[in-house]
Amino acid sequence: MRIAPKYLPLLAAAGSVVALPLVLLGLGLTLASATDAVIFAIACMGLNVLLDRVGLVSFGQGAFFGLAGYAAALSQRQWFPGAIVAPSLVAIVAVAIVAWLAGFLILRRGRAYFAPLTFVLAAMLSAIAWRWSAVTGGESGVTVTRPSALGVDLANPWIYYAVVAVIGLLTALLLWRVHRSATGRVLSAIRENEERARFLGYPVDRYKLFAFTFSAAIAAIAGVLFVFHHRVATPDPLSISFSGALLAMVVIGGMRSFLGPALGALIFVLCRDLLALLTAHWLLIFGLLFVAFVVFAPAGLLGIAERLSTRFRKRKVEGPADTAPAALPAGLANRPPHDGPVLIARELEKRFGGIRAVAGIDIVVEDRTLHALVGPNGAGKTTALDLLSGRYPPDFGFITLAGKPVGALRPDAIARAGMGRSFHTANLFGSLMVEENVRLAVQARWRKRFGWWTSAENLADVNAEAAALTAYLGLAGLERAEAASLSPGQQRLLDIALALATAPRILLLDEPLAGLAAEERVRIAALLKDISRHIPVLLTAHDVDNVREIADVITMMRDGKVVTQADVDAAAAPMTRHVSPSAAGAKMLLRVDKVDASRSKSHILHAVSLDVAEHEIVALLGRNGAGKSTLLKVLAGIVPPAAGAITLAGEDTTRLTSAETARRGIGYVPQGRGLFAGMTVADNLALSRRERLTGAGVHWDDERIIWVFPHLAQRWYTPADDLSRGEQQMVAVARALSGDVRLLLLDEPFEGLSVAITGELFEAFNRLRYEVAMVIADNRLDLALALSDRSVILERGAVTWTGASKLLRDNLDLRRQKLWM
Amino acid sequence: MHSIVIIDQLLNGLLIGAYYLLVALGLSLIFSLSGVVNLTHGAFYAIGAYLAVRLTPHIGFAGSFVAAPAFVALLGIAIERLLSRFHRGDPMLALLATFGLAMVAEQALRAIFGASPLLYAAPAGLQDNIRLGDFVYSEYRLVMLAASVVAVTLTWLLIYRTPFGRVVRAGAQNPEMVGALGISLAPYRMAIAALGVGLAGLAGALLAPVVTIQPAMGDKILTAAFVVVVIGGLGSFRGVVAAALLVGVVRGLAAYALPAAGDVSMYGLLLLALLFRPRGLFGEHLSGEHLAFE
Repeated sequence: MRIAPKYLPLLAAAGSVVALPLVLLGLGLTLASATDAVIFAIACMGLNVLLDRVGLVSFGQGAFFGLAGYAAALSQRQWFPGAIVAPSLVAIVAVAIVAWLAGFLILRRGRAYFAPLTFVLAAMLSAIAWRWSAVTGGESGVTVTRPSALGVDLANPWIYYAVVAVIGLLTALLLWRVHRSATGRVLSAIRENEERARFLGYPVDRYKLFAFTFSAAIAAIAGVLFVFHHRVATPDPLSISFSGALLAMVVIGGMRSFLGPALGALIFVLCRDLLALLTAHWLLIFGLLFVAFVVFAPAGLLGIAERLSTRFRKRKVEGPADTAPAALPAGLANRPPHDGPVLIARELEKRFGGIRAVAGIDIVVEDRTLHALVGPNGAGKTTALDLLSGRYPPDFGFITLAGKPVGALRPDAIARAGMGRSFHTANLFGSLMVEENVRLAVQARWRKRFGWWTSAENLADVNAEAAALTAYLGLAGLERAEAASLSPGQQRLLDIALALATAPRILLLDEPLAGLAAEERVRIAALLKDISRHIPVLLTAHDVDNVREIADVITMMRDGKVVTQADVDAAAAPMTRHVSPSAAGAKMLLRVDKVDASRSKSHILHAVSLDVAEHEIVALLGRNGAGKSTLLKVLAGIVPPAAGAITLAGEDTTRLTSAETARRGIGYVPQGRGLFAGMTVADNLALSRRERLTGAGVHWDDERIIWVFPHLAQRWYTPADDLSRGEQQMVAVARALSGDVRLLLLDEPFEGLSVAITGELFEAFNRLRYEVAMVIADNRLDLALALSDRSVILERGAVTWTGASKLLRDNLDLRRQKLWM
Repeated sequence: MHSIVIIDQLLNGLLIGAYYLLVALGLSLIFSLSGVVNLTHGAFYAIGAYLAVRLTPHIGFAGSFVAAPAFVALLGIAIERLLSRFHRGDPMLALLATFGLAMVAEQALRAIFGASPLLYAAPAGLQDNIRLGDFVYSEYRLVMLAASVVAVTLTWLLIYRTPFGRVVRAGAQNPEMVGALGISLAPYRMAIAALGVGLAGLAGALLAPVVTIQPAMGDKILTAAFVVVVIGGLGSFRGVVAAALLVGVVRGLAAYALPAAGDVSMYGLLLLALLFRPRGLFGEHLSGEHLAFE
């Protein structure tokens, strides 16, 4: 007979409960130890629902264990003398109700508060048990009898062990089913990426509350068995230390393994009953063991065993299959058209500190159209999508989706109302497989998404649709790859697949075409066009050329407002300003040699080489997502290079931290400015100067900074977040200078700025060339080329062209050829 | 007569609030830089109390008052080093590690000093009462209140009025950017761990003469500190101060009305806070284009 590997844990559990008493008796222990081990194993497996599945550390497990004991003992005494089944059921139901109420309150607060709040819950119940001795019997507890039930003589310890073992196995079976069910999969998804789960339409809080209540009910089963085992309910299990011991058992045994917690329970009992013979301080040893496992082997004993056994097994690596393009799955195509616009947003507004990110815009999307929201970086496009999809509540505005108002709803409710969205940087369930990602998204709108018994693998229609979608997006063959290991382009496709899988009334896609190679871009553009024939698509793009051919409607945005093409052209009109001659010296300041870099599991930079001379301005050009920001972060020491070498003024700085790099005279201005909110301009500048009076480069004190940005003098003591966007950008540059600096790294310094401020900044950079060298990454080609001496073009993380900026400035053919415009 | 009793209870409430504050403030400071709720905090409080008891015969009450928190602060640094080496980036494991260490610390105290409570009395010079007309109050309690107020005030000045504090506040908001300004946060994390844990040690040393000194004594005050940070908000200085005083004073007044109501009042406040202020007393800001920090 062959047994599928998925059943192995259940078989192992069954074998273990048979062997356990024999082994323990052989070690000189009693049957009572075996019974305790199985009972603790049940409690630990229940606890692991929270720890492993949802990623929450709970100190409530002991409290529910102990509470169930009291509930069983008291109800036997009051209502069911001589009975065992009825009090047990009463206890389990009572604990589930208490846990549901407690969980409702505890989960109102964020993740960081979960452990403290469950700690408080346990402390509170423990205090009640000790103080309210009239009911609980204080230290001596409440005694129970263990009568025969259903014709079984439970007084016999062997029979009681058998009953506990059978209940333990049934609990394991239940947990095994739940883990594999639709609900169990969603819990893993929440652990991986709570936000994404919400935007797929899962009511995350309800799932967490289910997990909390379920876990407590399992603890209650164990607690009841424990009380009838020892024939008394005492306050001990309510203590923090018992809850903590349960956590320790789970970790030592292995929280990532199904049976790990059970193994941990056995080890605890062995420590308690064997070690205690040798030393009174066995708990100290157990505690040290716990710490050692957390620090050195967080996967626990079974985790170590699994790693050893898989070491010799090769993991199959698959590539994308070359399959013929598939059609949009039938469930999504050809749905009845909607009368009137699908999405209407009126007067949307959102303010962050002194910045109006979205300043009263109207967006109307008709059915079966592709609507593009186009504007430069920082125009407020992503914020607009965030408001529409409920990530932030708008400060003002009305949103209707297919005629229903959705403006005040939470992201999961908006998603269920029919809004699917993708994200600027792919937002996936990183360590889950591709097929699991898509399956979770399809399942989100299925009636069975709350199923807890049927294995998710057996939801045939969900799986069929997930497979069809995977094929449609060209990800066939990658089903079993980990999402985080895909290339950026594939991750983008998967992100779109997730949004599409929720069968939305409208699809919101954030920069779906940015940072892709030409052929990939064409392919995805065609795909989006095809989708928009069935489902309306609202996408954002910073480059109108990318969407001109596919978009039915284009809405231009700038400064948080909807503007006309003429406004955009005027804002982007080439600046006819005086540009000073190059100040570049002959001496090399920075040399970057064949640098590679990766973030998470995908490669971002490939063998990038680049030189910057003293006082030289180098422009980093390339589309969004080409790797410009990452390269600047590598230069600033924030992202460590995986290979290659960086030399700054003759010193090898490849392995230095960002702080060490900055102290060698590098000033970094991140995209989005990164100012410290609540601190004044003066404070922001003082921070930067604190460790950077090193003599590495030109010294910048307040006076010289005001010489560069006279405007800041009047804002000196204003909190940075109250400043306008333009002022914030000036502070960000001023802060990067503050101290001793010889090289400025500027990431999108002109992003989202008004014409006047852009001019002012341009002047400042133009003057600064006599003081420091600069690397500027910006999408304002005219400005970057006018300022810079040399240009470096990046495409998909590799340098494709380096040369004098003058060539690109004057030779339009070359510019078109090298920059695809 | 009646009003004097109320003043008495108010002072007691403030005193209780001040202890909670010492422990909760350390928790909150450490959380804001490391992102981890330090479950070892209660154990540090206990160690502070034990050290005070053990050191007083050798270096006197005043000496142990300084030495005990200082020693606890050193322990805090050691543990910060251990944790930061292994678990930067996985807050769940860091949380479990802090709990494991708390377990070890409690058991170690039990192994070294035994499970039975230690006896300790306030120094002879402070055992009298102060009399102002009808009003009578314990000298030692007034000294404790003053010491707590001084410690919290100094901490506030350090965080909000010094260049050191500026780095800490910036690091809580955007550690990556602080690094890009040439500042390595590691020493600041250590200093904050030492400060936060030292405050817990100070609370232990201060409270040693008035509470039962036993290995698990930390659980009780840690519970109260958790209630305080949940109500006030982790990382919010003014929120934690306000919540600690609120919990302390309400507890003092409730205990006056009915002795058993003291504990109940704390849980009642927590319940109200969870129901009506689920984002903390002063609210937690959503991160938009940047994080707000108070």
